This record gives sequence, C-alpha cells and structure tokens, in this order.
Amino acid sequence: MAIAKAERLMNLALCLLGTRRPLSKRELRGSIEAYLEAGSDDSFNRMFERDKDDLRELGLIIETVENLDGDTGYLARRDSNRLPPITLDAEEAAALGLAAKVWQQARLAGAASGALQKLRAAGMPEAEDAYEVHSALEPRIPVHEAAFEPLMLACRDRRPVTFDYRKGNSARPGQRQVEPWTLECWRGHWYLAGWDRDRGAERVFRLSRISGRVRSRAGAFTAPVPDAVTVRETVESWAGETATRTARIRLRTGSGYPLRSRAVSVRELGDGWDELEIPYGHGLDAWLVEFGPDVIVTEPADLRADVMDRLRAVAKD
Amino acid sequence: MATNAIDQTRRMLSLVTYLRERPGAHVQDVARAFGITEDELISDLDVLPMCGTSFRGGDLLDIDTDGDRIWWHNPDDVAEPLRLAADEATALLVAARAVATLPGLRESDRQALVRATAKLETAAGEVGAASSRLSVTFESEGGVFADVDRAISERRRLWLRYYSPARDELTEREVDPIRLFAVGHTYMEGWCRLTEARRTFRLDRVAEIRLLDAPSAPPELELRDLSEGLVQPAAEDPEVVIEVGPGGRWVAEYYPHDSAEEMPDGGLRITLRTPDPASLRRLALRLGGEGRITSPPELAESARLAAREALAVYDGAL
Repeated sequence: MAIAKAERLMNLALCLLGTRRPLSKRELRGSIEAYLEAGSDDSFNRMFERDKDDLRELGLIIETVENLDGDTGYLARRDSNRLPPITLDAEEAAALGLAAKVWQQARLAGAASGALQKLRAAGMPEAEDAYEVHSALEPRIPVHEAAFEPLMLACRDRRPVTFDYRKGNSARPGQRQVEPWTLECWRGHWYLAGWDRDRGAERVFRLSRISGRVRSRAGAFTAPVPDAVTVRETVESWAGETATRTARIRLRTGSGYPLRSRAVSVRELGDGWDELEIPYGHGLDAWLVEFGPDVIVTEPADLRADVMDRLRAVAKD
Repeated sequence: MATNAIDQTRRMLSLVTYLRERPGAHVQDVARAFGITEDELISDLDVLPMCGTSFRGGDLLDIDTDGDRIWWHNPDDVAEPLRLAADEATALLVAARAVATLPGLRESDRQALVRATAKLETAAGEVGAASSRLSVTFESEGGVFADVDRAISERRRLWLRYYSPARDELTEREVDPIRLFAVGHTYMEGWCRLTEARRTFRLDRVAEIRLLDAPSAPPELELRDLSEGLVQPAAEDPEVVIEVGPGGRWVAEYYPHDSAEEMPDGGLRITLRTPDPASLRRLALRLGGEGRITSPPELAESARLAAREALAVYDGAL
C-alpha cells in the first residue's frame, strides 16, 4: 500500500528541521521510505518538488544551498522557522478561538485552525468554557463563489489573472485581464478590486459574476498597487447609497416603513397619505416601484417618469 | 474538520511540540485543545511513529498511546513551535479584525480581540502583511443587537415591531431568542410566539425592540446548519417561474433557485420555490420591462393589477 502523503510530508519536514547541514536529494531519498518506494527518478523528483511546495505553504522556510561539489542541499533552519515568543492570556485565547471559527471556506478554515494549533503548541492557554466567555453571537463569513480561492492566492502572491466576467446587464461574459489587489466581503458578497489591464483603470468585480476558471498569468504587476483600495465606496455607489439629491414622494399611511426610516422629513397630509422627502440616488426608481400603488412620486420629474415607465411595462404584460 | 494531508501534516507538527511539554497527556484533553475528534487524534498518533527526526534512519518518534494517555519516550528538540504560514496568519487576522468590528460585541471581548490581534501581527512578522489583501465587514445594528444579546444571556423574552418586506407591514410579536448570527447581515433566530414557529429576523428590519420580564422558553430545537444557506425552501413549497431578459439576470444572484436556464435572448428562465409566492409581487413590480413571472398566473396577475392601480392614482392625483 502506498504510504500516506501526510506521513511523507511529516518525514520530510522532520528531516529538514532536524539537520544541521544541508541534505542532498539523494540523502533525503535514502532516508524517507516513501521516496525509496517511488519508482523512477522522474516520479521521485516530481513528488519531492510538490512536497517542498506543500511544506512552504505550511510556512516552512526551506533553504537551498549549493555545496562544494555543486550538489544542491536543503535544510529548514530552526532559528528562521521558530515562532517568535507570544504570550496570550485566557481571554485573548478565547477571542481568537471565536475568530477562527468564522470561515466557511475549507482552505481558510483549515489555515485558521492550523494557526490556533501552532499557538496552542506554543503555550496558548485554553478557555475554561468558550460558551461562557463569549457573546451569544455566531459570526460567519460565507464563501460560495468558486473564484474566491484562486483570486485569494493571486492577491496574496501578486499574480495577474484572467477570467470571464459578465457585467450586470449583459448576457455574455467577456474576458478580463486583471492585476488583483484585494478581496472584500460586504453584506455577504465578495468583491475584487484590481487593475483592469484592457481598460487601463481600477475596477471592482463581483465574484458571483465570474464564470469559468480564474487563470494565472506569468509576469509581474504593471500598475502600482495603491495603499488604500475603496471597494466599499464603489459598491455603495452601485447600490445607490451615495445619494446626491432628494425626491418628494407620497406614501400611504402605515406603509413603506423602510422609506420612512430613511426619510429626511415626513409630513401627514391627512387624506390617507403622507408626504416624504427621501435621498435620491441610483436605483431609487426600481425600489419605489416595489411599493406599487402605495407610493406616488411627486418630484423630480425624471424620477416620476422613470417610475411610471416601469409601472406601464408591468401593467401591459 | 478537513482531513486532507496538508491539514493533517500541519496538525502533527504542532502536536509533537505540544506533546513534548506534556508527558502522559490525556487523549481527551489533547483532542479538545486541538479542536479535533479523539478519532482524528488517534489516527495522527498512528502516523507519528512512522516519522523520523533524522535522515540517518532508525531515529523514529517513539510516541505511543494506550487510548487514554499519550507518551513520547524519546522527545527531541526538533519540536519547537513553528512560525505562522502566510495563509494561517491571514485566516486568523482577517477573521479577528472582522469580528472586532461587530458593533454588538461585548466590550471586554473586543478589547481582548484587539490585544490578541496586535500580538499576532507581531508574531506573524512579514507574512502577516498579506492579510491586508482580504477584508470582511459585517453589517450590524448596534442598539438592537445589544438588546438581543442581553435577552439571550438573561434568558428573557423579547417584544418586537418587525418589518416584513413581503407584506410591506410592521407586525408586533413576542419572540424567545435562540441565537444571533452574522452572514452578511446580522440575524436573530428565535421562537415566534405569534406564529408558534421558528423564525429568523434580520436585525436591520427591527423597528422597535423591548426586553420583557417574562422568561424566554423556546422549545428544544435542533440548530439549523447555516452552511447550507439561510433560505432553505421545502420540497412542498409552491414553484415560481420567472423569465428575465439580460437586464434581470441579477435575480439569479439574489434569489436561491432550483434552476436557471439560459434563454436565446441572453436572459434566464429561473425556477424557485417559496412558501409564500405572494411575497414575490415586489420582485415582479421591480423587474418592470426586464422580466415577468410566468407561473403561478395569480401572482403575475396581482402584479399587473398593482401596476394599473398605481397608474390610476397618478392619473387622478396630479
């Protein structure tokens, strides 16, 4: 039976950490059973390269050293791989325990528990009873988008990507070449901010509109990465939350609570209607139509016309 | 808990460090400290004796267990605490920063989290920098949140004035709160005494809230698994069919659905189930010329009537 990968990785890690001098590939192959069992040189080489990459993903710094004979040796020095001293009290440990549970994405959930385990091994105290210490809140970070993981890695490693993206109102996706900067989750949805190479400008993309695979491109970023990226402001303006003017509407008494709670002013008209002044930003027309015969737009005229057009489209169906 | 090789290797490396400091540790305690099941721990303990600390062979970890306690007979100083990987630092730092922004979090918890985050940033060193490339903001309604949180910890009933978008109305109800959770927005799950049923309330739709003196006494309920999504329609719920043009494709992003079929004009034919189809009248109105509900016919008709009624008010009013 083939030796489990975890056992092979663990042996490689211990050999590299345990040695005081660089070990050649030949020496490593001679002392790790799984490598002895690897048939050809080719399959051993492929396995060894993959394993080194996996251990580096786990945080191990593996040095490559050339010796006098021109042979390459490998080692993971203790002092560069040691966790710096960190002392956490029980409250801090419990708070991190709560934070580590929020990811609903396998890779990040695994990484967060891995971090806690390293801290635990380094002496982080255990909470007496996690449920007593904490607020009743259960925060969860949802990640449903398939594009999340490849984009997260591309942002981390600063690698350009291409993907197919469908804009809000278009039927067919178009290919985009992007230098990905940051990912942000807002109101349960993930967005990517980055440099759109074809448009030569900063753009924000919604991950759920990416279809197919995210592909990495060779080469480095061409545009400078800004210090602060404003994903949230861009999304807010899409959502019509940056109002520039106000509108006057009539609302039937007792209806439209969300409109009332945002209103600048409310005046009772006394005939079963109230008059409201509300912020007028992008998307207000579509929202007002939802209230059907309970909302009448008074002004501005363009908003009134937009709402009536939408109503006519539904009325004639 | 994922059982892939990467996660297991990561865990075993921490495990040897942990075990070195605790000769004779109990299986039960170690499993709890690592957030894994006892079976997972035992399977790690099966692998460790096959692993060696030196390339010269014959120098394997002599770790064994009788199922209750764990002994390491030749502890080695290879087992030092390891630095954090970039993904580990990112996963924990991003989550900690996000949780610290929750307005409803208890102040003592928030302070502990802020202190822990600062220590973690220092310990992570340069690998912590990549964590700024990921961020999460929770929406939260501070005042309402604090009242719900208090009601849960004091086991008290709540009185709510709650907005239902489906009916465009505010209803008053008493609720026995069960838990708070945040998935994008912040929600309370509770037992609604008005409908005698489990209900989920979005906190930004709570118009008014009061703590009652009555004790909260929700029936024993199995907590829902939220990883399946908030909206989990039942098989017997009525089916609704919506046909949208290219401009209405967003519907498929916002409404959980059974199927979304591509149409020749670049639109979609979306089929979904909901316990209350009438609640979709708002959607039909919102879509305007960008889509229409084709089934059930009563729903399409009610949207049409509402639009005609609204136009009649415009004609008469001004």
